[in-house]
Amino acid sequence: MSAIAFWGAVELGLIYGFVAVGVYLAFRVLDFPDLTVDGSFPLGAAIAAVTITAGWDPWLACLLAAFGGAACGIVTAFLNVRFGILNLLASILTMIALFSVNLRVMGRPNMAVFNRETVITPFYDLGLPDHVVRPLVLSVLVLVTVLVLARFLASDFGLAMRAAGANQRMARANGVDVGRQIYAGMAISNALTGIGGALFAQVAGFADVTSGVGTIVVGLAAVIVGETLFRTRALFIALLACVIGSVIYRVAVQLALSADFLFLRASDLNLVTAVLVALALILPRLRSRKVVAQ
Amino acid sequence: MIIVEDLHVTFNPGSPLERRAVRGVGLTLGEGEFATVIGSNGAGKSTLLAAIAGDVIPQKGHIRIGERDVTREAPAKRAARVARVFQDPLAGSCADLSIEENLALAAMRGSRRGFGLALRAERRKLLRERVAELGLGLEGRMGDRMGLLSGGQRQALALVMATLAGAEVLLLDEHTAALDPGMAEFVAELTQRLVTAHRLTTLMVTHSMRQALDLGTRTIMLHEGRIVLDISGEKRRSMTVDGLVDMFRRVRGGEELDDDALRIG
Amino acid sequence: MRRILLTAAASLALMTAATAQTAKVSVTAIVEHPALDAVRDGVRDGLEEAGYKAGDNLEFTYESAQGNPATAAQIAREFVGNSPDVIVPISTPSAQAAAAATRDIPIVFSAVTDPVAAGLVASNEAPGGNVTGVSDLSPIAEHVALVKEVAPEAEAVGFIYNPGEANSVVLLEYFREAAEKEGLSVVEAAANKSADVQAAARSLVGKAQAIYVPTDNTIVSALESLVAVAEENDLPLISGDTDSVERGALASVGFNYYEVGKQTAEVVLRVLKGENPGEIPVTFATGTDLVVNRKAAEAMGVTLPQAMIERASKVIE
Repeated sequence: MSAIAFWGAVELGLIYGFVAVGVYLAFRVLDFPDLTVDGSFPLGAAIAAVTITAGWDPWLACLLAAFGGAACGIVTAFLNVRFGILNLLASILTMIALFSVNLRVMGRPNMAVFNRETVITPFYDLGLPDHVVRPLVLSVLVLVTVLVLARFLASDFGLAMRAAGANQRMARANGVDVGRQIYAGMAISNALTGIGGALFAQVAGFADVTSGVGTIVVGLAAVIVGETLFRTRALFIALLACVIGSVIYRVAVQLALSADFLFLRASDLNLVTAVLVALALILPRLRSRKVVAQ
Repeated sequence: MIIVEDLHVTFNPGSPLERRAVRGVGLTLGEGEFATVIGSNGAGKSTLLAAIAGDVIPQKGHIRIGERDVTREAPAKRAARVARVFQDPLAGSCADLSIEENLALAAMRGSRRGFGLALRAERRKLLRERVAELGLGLEGRMGDRMGLLSGGQRQALALVMATLAGAEVLLLDEHTAALDPGMAEFVAELTQRLVTAHRLTTLMVTHSMRQALDLGTRTIMLHEGRIVLDISGEKRRSMTVDGLVDMFRRVRGGEELDDDALRIG
Repeated sequence: MRRILLTAAASLALMTAATAQTAKVSVTAIVEHPALDAVRDGVRDGLEEAGYKAGDNLEFTYESAQGNPATAAQIAREFVGNSPDVIVPISTPSAQAAAAATRDIPIVFSAVTDPVAAGLVASNEAPGGNVTGVSDLSPIAEHVALVKEVAPEAEAVGFIYNPGEANSVVLLEYFREAAEKEGLSVVEAAANKSADVQAAARSLVGKAQAIYVPTDNTIVSALESLVAVAEENDLPLISGDTDSVERGALASVGFNYYEVGKQTAEVVLRVLKGENPGEIPVTFATGTDLVVNRKAAEAMGVTLPQAMIERASKVIE
């Protein structure tokens, strides 16, 4: 694997780190299996593509993508909390709808974003090679995000969110409005995914409505890789582990692409990912069974 | 103070599964009054508690806590004034959160939860002191996962949690039933101590006749959704466990007692 | 010691320069698909005919992104890291991913319908930058003429596509324009995934008297289900690519994608000889030829005009 390929993988891993942290928030903290991200990721990309090609500030584009993602999360939460639609189904409905929404946002299925001002471009003047600058800037962004999120989860509000996900009855008995926590958590989770999409469009050079397919699976794979490597209860480390899991996942993909490695080919990728995610879903169950057995 | 007026709760109304769990209960508990509630399975004890807590919305009747009518208020909203401890030690706390996180969560019951650190230094100190008062040695394990503790330890902490945020009403739903005898006794004593110290208006459902007479100041018996016995003061003091069992038998129309439904001791 | 190494390095460089016939060409496509695979094979064979033999003096690598744009971005970086002489991305997202990954390494895209809209080139005539390639914009007008020829009575023609595919949306606009010139109205039928193709096709029954399927990856991958509906309801099915005719469409005028690949190879050769890709205008795929399927015609209740059969470069019995 060449240095450019390696840093390219790190770069994508960091971008999907936003997704991984969002997925962690939904799946692990809120216990809400959320497929909305398959739609909020390309929505973030679409919003960034439209605004950046219209000459808007790329940071503003990211902010708008976050709002767009948050709105998606709120719609899913609304369907679930207000109408009692099963969480998984509610998120599938939002995801399906977003395919059409994303087409509307861009007015076409694919939009190019290259040779535009992005959040990365100002840093190209630092004197480092481009392929190092990108992961460097992204790692700062993702680190700040993880710090803020860890601090949020350690707050009274964040603690209530964790309780709402872990034990709804107990949370209610302690005055936590579980519905409101689901709204907030889903909004944050999908806002992060939207930012991931916006950064993807800026770094990959295009927004495509099909780019959301399998986002949830990649996010989950990152979460489980991170959890396997870092067994911790420290929030900051747990969140950082998701990002590291995402980077490792992308590096593994890159190894598979670099041919001859472990007999893997790009075409085996979906299988490998599916196995990882199956583990993600099975491991906690096995673990809790062990606890009960004790 | 709790005032319950002509309360009716029916599950699955109009369906073949219809069950009239509470059929016209009226009850007034003065401030700081501690009543124990007994009755066979299906007598409506838990439903009565659920209605006061807000988990169940009654078809008819009113529930007031203090001056406020809370009949239709959401459970999270009335939690500011109503604290609860459940029968299942797993239900009352979060296994994946640490002891102090669970306590911190309870400490904010009824307050607006902001973005301040949940485990700030002065709060940690306070929580630690409250846990130390239990005498269980848990103050040295504040960072441990709740899930690592025994059922009794969790129930003891659940009682501490219930008293952290200054509730007016405490609802206990057979909170000692799942514990071994030694721990059950400890939790029962702790209950009496905390209720007295915090002047909590308390309703405690129990299956133990002994507990029903030993704890609190008033004993209520429910049968088929109605109050069939309500004793306090001298009458209660002179009541024995045998006498209570006898009464229990009589209200059930002379049926033999079901051992599973009623434990004496 | 250092001097010896330097001398060795220098002579190695000289040797490389002397055997200038070696080339490193990296090919990628967004997904494995008969048409896209044919392009790849055409590129390889076209290079071979010019004296570049894979495994010999040609380092030819190929990766498919498995339909995932994020993987396409990774493949692009992988290629850039290997610094090949030319990157050949097949399909729009692969081309965009490659173009975003490098401003230096020449890129010769293929099978991109609208390179300008995709942001790949400033204009088809003068691309600028490091990107040029071959557009596979369908000969739409000829397709409309074909519809008129096999179904002269038709008033409306169904257009079945995936609105999520950039190329198809562009084609729809071109098709509508060309059809309206011929007095045909266009009925859209959208299928977001291959499982929806059959239902989309059924929605056309009664509304259109013929069906046109563009070079849409989603629809083409489920062509058989579309053919079944067309045959059941006697709707002549014209396809945007000739490969689909072999799979049961009635007829098409088109380039076969293998030929598109060979045309792409020609552009690659120009770049290998040192031409600046930014100065090579975008090529529009040519080699249009008519392919008809006699069996399909029968099943769709169409009698093929004799003139058409004689004109066809290939008749499938």
